[in-house]
Amino acid sequence: MCPVAHLPEITADGGVLSLALSADLHRTVSSRYQYAVSVFVDIAPDESLADSPAAVVPSGRWRGRLTRAALPLLSVVVFFVVWQLIAASGIWNQTFVPNPGAVWHAFLDVSTTHDGVRGYAGYLLWEHLYMTLRRVFAGVVIGVVLGVLLGLVMGSVSWVRSVLEPWLTFLRALPPLAYFFLLVIWLGIDEAPKITLLALAALPPAAVATTAAVVAAPVGLQEAARALGASRRQVIRDVVVPSALPETFTGVRLAVGMAYSSVVAAELFNGLPGIGGLVKDASNYNNTPVVLVGIFAIGISGLVIDGLLRAVERRAVPWRGKI
Amino acid sequence: MKLKALFAVVAATLALAGCSVDRSADQPDKPTIRIGYQSFPSGDLIVKNNKWLEEALPNYNIKWTKFDSGADVNTAFIAKELDFGALGSSPVARGLSAPLNIPYKVAFVLDVAGDNEALVARNGSGINTIADLKGKRIGTPFASTAHYSLLAALNQNGLSAKDVQLVDLQPQAILAAWDRGDVDAAYSWLPTLDQLRKSGKDLITSRQLAKDGKPTLDLGAVRDEFADAHPDVVDTWRQQEARALTLIHDDPTAAAKAIAAEIGLSPDEVAGQLKQGVYLTPEQVASPEWLGAEGKPGNIAVNLQSASQFLADQKQIPSAASLQTFQDAIYTKGLPGAITQ
Repeated sequence: MCPVAHLPEITADGGVLSLALSADLHRTVSSRYQYAVSVFVDIAPDESLADSPAAVVPSGRWRGRLTRAALPLLSVVVFFVVWQLIAASGIWNQTFVPNPGAVWHAFLDVSTTHDGVRGYAGYLLWEHLYMTLRRVFAGVVIGVVLGVLLGLVMGSVSWVRSVLEPWLTFLRALPPLAYFFLLVIWLGIDEAPKITLLALAALPPAAVATTAAVVAAPVGLQEAARALGASRRQVIRDVVVPSALPETFTGVRLAVGMAYSSVVAAELFNGLPGIGGLVKDASNYNNTPVVLVGIFAIGISGLVIDGLLRAVERRAVPWRGKI
Repeated sequence: MKLKALFAVVAATLALAGCSVDRSADQPDKPTIRIGYQSFPSGDLIVKNNKWLEEALPNYNIKWTKFDSGADVNTAFIAKELDFGALGSSPVARGLSAPLNIPYKVAFVLDVAGDNEALVARNGSGINTIADLKGKRIGTPFASTAHYSLLAALNQNGLSAKDVQLVDLQPQAILAAWDRGDVDAAYSWLPTLDQLRKSGKDLITSRQLAKDGKPTLDLGAVRDEFADAHPDVVDTWRQQEARALTLIHDDPTAAAKAIAAEIGLSPDEVAGQLKQGVYLTPEQVASPEWLGAEGKPGNIAVNLQSASQFLADQKQIPSAASLQTFQDAIYTKGLPGAITQ
């Protein structure tokens, strides 16, 4: 799971990294039982660094970077060429496969004011996207905070886990569309049901990942810390949480993904302005170019958000994979 | 052992895939006619419930598929997955205009919206006339005939969509929002409409709008290729639809019973709904006011063109199609004799 782009940094100077790593751990782990820290560092294997082929040939690093940058670009170019060819071949009607030009034109129309019409349904594309991101942000923050707290409790107290796990699995199995109508009846048609839906979508992955991570926290480390005189609270704070954090972060990324993929469902009722509402409204009018603009907007912003989360993850849990 | 388990899984999957709960009993040796219907009360449901088409066309499989909106029916026509479809005049006007240009023809008028579609204001919202709606929140299912009628009603009173807050809601959601006070008015249809009327009052109904020249209709459309290849099937289909209209006029109780069985309401409720709609007689359908006669397409083309112009004014389509386009899209073959006998 270690992000590929991270490798060059490590390989540049393995020594500095291990120093940085232990410094980080010193910060997280209370200095009172720093021997436990040395346990961390001792069992952190250095093989992954030594094995890295990029470290051997410095010029290979650049070639590697170039390949990594060029390959996705190339795939995008191939995609557009194939798309244009399919559209130009005329096998399918424009409503099925509009050509890239038509989608670009729709993108411009939706992003600007033209002939006295402001964007789509009175809002510009960025305004639709902004409203959606705001809803997703609120929903994810609520869902992830609750989910991680729930996961911590469930992971540490086994009877709570037994009680809550079936409920969580029940919730996780439900497609948001199934219960969204109930949320509308209970909470109305404004922001409340949308944010609740997104929070409900984000909560289970965060909770499940955190629970699993807490349960999987190395018993050896916990016992060592306790042997060194750490209290139960200290063990949780300084051993369990740091070792659970990488997996929790994966859970957070999954949670954001789940919430993001529920956006169209959440904006099914009164979704304008909103990118999901835009996609739904345009499908009602069989307006394929605008639907595609919406899909690209959702997909690309999803990529950007995931990239940001990965960057945060690298900063926040550099010890991922090293415990 | 592992291989055996794999075989077992594959066999189980195949067995499950074969177990469909589809009871349409397709016979592979007969061609299939695919019909898209909606749950608004109309002759379509009577034909379906009484299996008149199946009886009249024993050499075909008839596959009925339910759709929730005209937009979905349009999508299915574009995908060439339907031969006949029931949809409102607003989706038809959109389908026949660019960029969709769906190759289908209007072959029947199922019903004309009357008091079964209406604009209702909630008691206590202080709205007594359409002009009072300025700045208020109004719920309606976007892209529907009700949406079209709402915009037409606002237009009549010198208001535009920008002067009010339009909210895209399906009828059930309108009811929820209404009870919570989230919307002040709604343009919707039965059966939700009757529930709204309990705590609100009509501002205008589609019957009035029809008199003012903005009728909304439910139409039966047939795919061009299919109509060219099987004109006899289209004739039979029109005869059965005409038979259903006659039943609605001659024996409304039997008609209500058949429709009730299809949409899960009581026959009494359906009978009430049938009274609020406008159901033409087969003679009226083939009159110049509606479909017209062979070679002389009726006034419905003008209605559709005006709906198309209206959609263009609302920026829902790039530009309106010509009257000629709509006249060409009326299936008048054999009219009026084909359905009045």
